[in-house]
Amino acid sequence: MVTEPVRRTNSGAGRALVAVYGVFALAATSRATVQLATRYSEAPLAYLLSAVAGVIYILATISLARGTATSRRVAIVAIVIELVGVLTIGTLSVVDPEAFPRATVWSVYGIGYGFVPLVLPVLGLLWLRRTRSA
Amino acid sequence: MIPALAYAVILLAGASVVWGVITAITDRPPGKAQLLFAAGVWLVTLVQSIVAAVQLVRGFEPASMATTVGYLIGIVVLIPIAWFWANVERTRFSGIVLAVAALSVLAMTLRLLTLWVPAA
Repeated sequence: MVTEPVRRTNSGAGRALVAVYGVFALAATSRATVQLATRYSEAPLAYLLSAVAGVIYILATISLARGTATSRRVAIVAIVIELVGVLTIGTLSVVDPEAFPRATVWSVYGIGYGFVPLVLPVLGLLWLRRTRSA
Repeated sequence: MIPALAYAVILLAGASVVWGVITAITDRPPGKAQLLFAAGVWLVTLVQSIVAAVQLVRGFEPASMATTVGYLIGIVVLIPIAWFWANVERTRFSGIVLAVAALSVLAMTLRLLTLWVPAA
């Protein structure tokens, strides 16, 4: 039998975290939709990465908001991918700006969004750690 | 868009952010006045987006139509969702939820002011 975590990810501070994730899910997805729909050929890689980021934020938002034992696992996977994504794209966009001629939500570690994209996965993982069952 | 309305949204949303942070720091859930205030901010964003939609239908063509429309929809949906999310479980963090939504509306309205220029 699956035991429920001691503290649900959607309670207390988790509600604020879900709110921030929700905003980024909306921002990244809308941005990607506009980019892909209107100027895909300009920078296909950057725009597809924007779409991937959007999907990851949606997954993280929903799984954190559900707060079940199963959704915790989905949240961990999504947020680890998010962290790897922002570190990889962030570093690549600094080292090789030519590869990313158009900004994504993760470019330069999320500088366009006050570096929140860099801090958010760290907070997410800390929160999942704090709410795990003994 | 009406610039004066945009500045009103920016001011009111800013107040909503500060209010949310204050109740969170003082460990209280948002009070009735605070929730009504958030609803008021939403009403102003709604008027703004409706006015802008009418202008767009009447032929105003902003430089980036898709992005502008996205932002106009975004500022209207954020506060109601946050409002309900903040009320399901009422703790100090409900104030932060309202603040996050208000801050996003503030940032998006600032961006809308720069987006609202006619296409070349």
